[in-house]
Amino acid sequence: MVLAFASFREILGKEREICLVEGATVRDLLEELAAARPAFNEAAFDDTGALRDYVLLMVNRKRIDPILDLSRPLQDGDELAIFPPLAGG
Amino acid sequence: MIEITEEELSMEELIKRARSKDAGAMVTFLGSVRDDGIERLEVEAFREAALAELESIQREATSRFALKAVEIVHRTGTLAVGESIVAIVCSAGHREEAFSGCRYIIEELKKRAPLWKKELGERGEHWVGQDEPAGK
Repeated sequence: MVLAFASFREILGKEREICLVEGATVRDLLEELAAARPAFNEAAFDDTGALRDYVLLMVNRKRIDPILDLSRPLQDGDELAIFPPLAGG
Repeated sequence: MIEITEEELSMEELIKRARSKDAGAMVTFLGSVRDDGIERLEVEAFREAALAELESIQREATSRFALKAVEIVHRTGTLAVGESIVAIVCSAGHREEAFSGCRYIIEELKKRAPLWKKELGERGEHWVGQDEPAGK
């Protein structure tokens, strides 16, 4: 399940289910979304294919490092949340 | 008590809930929509994750500053200039703990709670904190 918030919700919609091959990583999922939605590709990745620094991620409601944890494999039923910098209060 | 709600918030109600005989001091914080040339604000939450984070912040503040009670309400939805966004009430034995606790909670909320604000006005729309608007 992919959840998107704020500017990323406007591009991707609030939630969607995505089927991935076994062993797929967080990066694979983001690239799948980018391939399906050019606006997400532009918003989330720079020209070199690196994730932009305002893209924040959670897996199962725990923040992950958007650089170090992109190679993390996802399990069936995992929930990935994509959002820009927090701005509550 | 912690709430994320579209409803108006009542500081009086929060104060009433935080009162106790052993609390000699109560500090309140009210954040509201500032007129920065905007017409309104849209506030969005990752509700379940934000509630869990606010509960963690509440627990930390309570143990660090020996608070007697903590009330936090954050609003979501469309808010006009001047409307309240967030209210925090901390009660403690003495004022020092109540001030420190309240300050800790608002600073940590801003850093850690998954909440977002979009400013809307004549100059267009802008997600606060995101310099390059996604997809624009």
